[in-house]
Amino acid sequence: MSQLFDKEDVDVAWCKGCGNFGILKLLKEVLEELEVKKNSTVIVSGIGQAAKTPYYIDANMFGVLHGRALPVATGVKLSNENLCVIAEGGDGDMYGEGGNHLIHTIRRNPDIVHIVHNNMVYGLTKGQASPTSQKGFETKVQVEGVKNEPFNPLAVALSLKAGFVSRVNIGDAEHAKEVLKEAFRHHGYALVDILQPCVTFNKTNTYHWFKENTYTLDKSYDAGDFEGAVKKSFETLPMPIGVLYKSRKNTPTFEQEIRGEDAKALHSVTHDIAKIQELFEGY
Amino acid sequence: MTIDELKKYDGKNGAKAYIAYKNVVYDVSDSPLWSGGEHEGEHHAGVDLTEELAHAPHGSEVFKELPVVATLEGTTKTQEDRSDAPQPLKSKLRAWYKKYHPHPATVHFPIALHLFATGMDVLFLITPTKAYALGVFYSFFVATVMGFVAMIPGILSWWINYDFSMARAFVIKLVVSIITLLLGLVALAIYYENPHAVYEYSLEGILYHAIVLITGLNVIILGYYGGKITWGYGKNKTLTEENKEAVSVAKHEKKVSQNSSSQSISILIGGAAGTGIATLEKILSDAFKASGFYIFSTKEYMSRVRGGSNTTLIRISDTPLQAPCWEVDISIALDGDALKHMQPRCNEKTIVFADETFGEKGDELILLAMKESAKKFGNAKYANTYISGILFGFLRIDKSFLIQSITEHFKEDEVNKEVAELGYEEGHKLENKSFEKLPNTDNELVQKLHLMDGTTACGFGFLAGGCNMITSYPMSPSTGVLNFMASMSKEFDIALEQSEDEIASLHMVLGGWYGGARAMTTTSGGGFALMGEALSLSGMSETPAVIYLAQRPGPATGLPTRSEQGDLNMGIYSGHGPFPRAVLAPGSLQECIDYAYLAFELADRFAIPVVVLSDQYLADSVSMIEDVDFASYEQRRYSVKTEEGYQRYAETKNGISPRGIPAFGDGVICSVGDEHDERGQITEDYKMREQMVAKRARKKSELIKEAIVPEVIGEGDIAIIGWGSTKGSIAEVLDNLKNPRLAQVHFTWVYPLSKEQLQVLKKFSYLIVVENNAEGAFADQLKLHDLKIHKQILQSNGFNFFVDQLGPMIEESLKEIL
Repeated sequence: MSQLFDKEDVDVAWCKGCGNFGILKLLKEVLEELEVKKNSTVIVSGIGQAAKTPYYIDANMFGVLHGRALPVATGVKLSNENLCVIAEGGDGDMYGEGGNHLIHTIRRNPDIVHIVHNNMVYGLTKGQASPTSQKGFETKVQVEGVKNEPFNPLAVALSLKAGFVSRVNIGDAEHAKEVLKEAFRHHGYALVDILQPCVTFNKTNTYHWFKENTYTLDKSYDAGDFEGAVKKSFETLPMPIGVLYKSRKNTPTFEQEIRGEDAKALHSVTHDIAKIQELFEGY
Repeated sequence: MTIDELKKYDGKNGAKAYIAYKNVVYDVSDSPLWSGGEHEGEHHAGVDLTEELAHAPHGSEVFKELPVVATLEGTTKTQEDRSDAPQPLKSKLRAWYKKYHPHPATVHFPIALHLFATGMDVLFLITPTKAYALGVFYSFFVATVMGFVAMIPGILSWWINYDFSMARAFVIKLVVSIITLLLGLVALAIYYENPHAVYEYSLEGILYHAIVLITGLNVIILGYYGGKITWGYGKNKTLTEENKEAVSVAKHEKKVSQNSSSQSISILIGGAAGTGIATLEKILSDAFKASGFYIFSTKEYMSRVRGGSNTTLIRISDTPLQAPCWEVDISIALDGDALKHMQPRCNEKTIVFADETFGEKGDELILLAMKESAKKFGNAKYANTYISGILFGFLRIDKSFLIQSITEHFKEDEVNKEVAELGYEEGHKLENKSFEKLPNTDNELVQKLHLMDGTTACGFGFLAGGCNMITSYPMSPSTGVLNFMASMSKEFDIALEQSEDEIASLHMVLGGWYGGARAMTTTSGGGFALMGEALSLSGMSETPAVIYLAQRPGPATGLPTRSEQGDLNMGIYSGHGPFPRAVLAPGSLQECIDYAYLAFELADRFAIPVVVLSDQYLADSVSMIEDVDFASYEQRRYSVKTEEGYQRYAETKNGISPRGIPAFGDGVICSVGDEHDERGQITEDYKMREQMVAKRARKKSELIKEAIVPEVIGEGDIAIIGWGSTKGSIAEVLDNLKNPRLAQVHFTWVYPLSKEQLQVLKKFSYLIVVENNAEGAFADQLKLHDLKIHKQILQSNGFNFFVDQLGPMIEESLKEIL
């Protein structure tokens, strides 16, 4: 196993057996295999156990606030389209606190990979329900079990015409890696919802539970069929795993729409002072 | 009018009473202080009182409220020389005096000793011992000698600080001190002749004791009036009461005629939203500018797209103006509601134009067939063009400038020209007694100036600062800058996005700076409230941010389209946890450019959030600015190329760690909102925490060094302190008041305050803070630095300060504190 993206001298905060370890390993391998340079990779993460992932990867990172990874990642991508930008966080971070940003980031379609660790529970705040918790899930706050309908990220993303919508189970790392790689190769916004267990606070949705309640989309499934994908996205238990939808159209990305093709990084953009002078004198 | 002609107006036998001051003749016939042409039984009407004023207990401010009737011709040079401006020697002495306070320093000795002598004498009269007698004499002797010593700086102070004022307190002090000193000499002479006289029941003995007792009383009187001169005649208030007290606008709806004091004409145009007032404002502004007038215009509008009553105020003048007036010379109502809406701003001299359908016969209106005339040309919207013609015709201004402006605005619609021509003819037919003389025009200078609003000036400043990314959520009154930058994105490489909310706006800005952009956002109070957490992230992660915060009255939705300086505290304190930031509040077009540029400079250099505070008034008011050399705004960039092993939060002496950006060099950039170590890794190590807190604090110390001292205009010892958008109003008011004791102190760098900035204020005897908010947030900042604020002038009615209202407020404040 390669160690190109390993970060030295770090104190990992996760519990033993946490699904996050699998995702961390997966991401580092994918970055290396895709030959992404660490100085041009930016991982933006919010707050939560999942959002700690970039602290353990040797690449550029911006650890921001709860729910805010997407607008920050959008800003980063807008400033320099040559950066490989990843927004990463948990289900509470991305689907709860950052719900509004999720909607509008999908509408914008920046070329970023959006990795959501979905363990159906709040880990950092010690075990409350998350937007994706299943109905009836009991916690110290939801003492009579969760009453709300679980948030369906795939259906929401599809309704907003996201170009790449996928779900993987970290219990099947090989499959997950293939899907994640495909997400990186997609030109535009790519959602990867990763099912993972929380070994401490979610005793219901375990590795075993995920294995029992998911099935992998096989080669007969047409990921280019939007309507089929919408239908698929509403399948709950068992949940389909794989690339639900991948647009065949080459939709221009947010940064291309705003700045045009092959735009210079904003770092090197200065204004023509003579032009400012001229425009000012027009008043 | 000549001096001889003036003599006829002495107020006697039914004649008008006129007086002259500095070549201007004022009508005092209606003043109760001048009944029968006499003032205080000393001064007579029909003469030039310029020299007398120097000896009056009041200043020239009294003339402000008097109607001007003429100018005085052929005045002698000596009168002109007696300017109110303090001579250099005097101002040097004044500074020296303020530093050492020689009179208070010396005067307490004779007072104490006189009182001591009086006390001893009472004891002597009860028990006549030698010890008491000697005690009385020696203390009285020293008291008298010290009295002479104290009188010298007293007279000096009377000259340098009070211009030998003959106000009651000074006269009493003078008479009583001379009596005291003379009596002192008499008593000492008696004792010197015969020390035993003090024991005798003789004339000398009685006189000696009487003098000792009376002088004790005298020094009490002297001390009492000394205190009044220094501390004023104010009622006994506690410090807090005094500080909290504010002048509200309602108390001061004084009638001040604009044409009496300034060479300017104010024109108020009112109508419903969507009826083309903005177009009319633009046409007239350009036409007036082309005619060679200095222009200022401002608008007030309701939070609605159609209907309601909106107004635009245009002032034309012979000097640069940057302030509104409440009462106007000309009022033009485009509909009946506007007529009512503008009524409070009209006085008996205001010329009111209205459509014939709105007014009734007998009203003091000039009724015009605006609508009818417009309809003849096929569209009611031509009424605006018709009015512009009426106005130019009425004021007898060269028609060609108006036609030129109209041609530029309505390139394709030739009919507008015909409508304007017709309006001009009709306007010319109207009798015009009020404006026979227009403000002088200065074509050469005015044509070199640029006409724009605060929004545009800020926009140019941000461009000069290198802004190449803007992400905002629209919110009045900040949207103008977003619009401006959007229009500029066609000319320059600017990445612009309208975000889903203000939370996203500022986070995108942070993402942008992290990636190397020079990014900003625009918002108003409610939106800025949502940005609190991102502001805090900017502080912790040391990611630069520029926020243009155009204030409007809150709380909550408040008055969405009106103005207030209500968000200073939010600018300074918003965001959890302490972190360095700068808050800048420009007050003129030039400052808008300079400080918008500076915002980017500071944000980049210190890696901090910088808030530029504007408000609806500043954003929407149009005035004139001289040429600006944009090449002089240096394009500095502070990000560095990194090497492997780069640490984003490396320790440095001044706390500023070199800021790298991704893919610029070999290093990796770890920026973090958690507490972190030097490389940007999460840490909870208590020592590292303290180290990082100290590092951020050092950045603040370094930032404070850059603080720009407030601009001081005038040499007086009473500071009229303002910040941000009140600059123009305060300047014009002080210009009008011509009170040599007043000086304007204008803060643009409002946070963090430096010692040097505060030092400027320590030179003044009195501090009066003018703010367009209800609680005096800036005065509170000054109080945090132990400055005593003598008076606060506050307002929160949704307008900026009108010069004709702020003037009386300042005068009222002076009466209370002096």
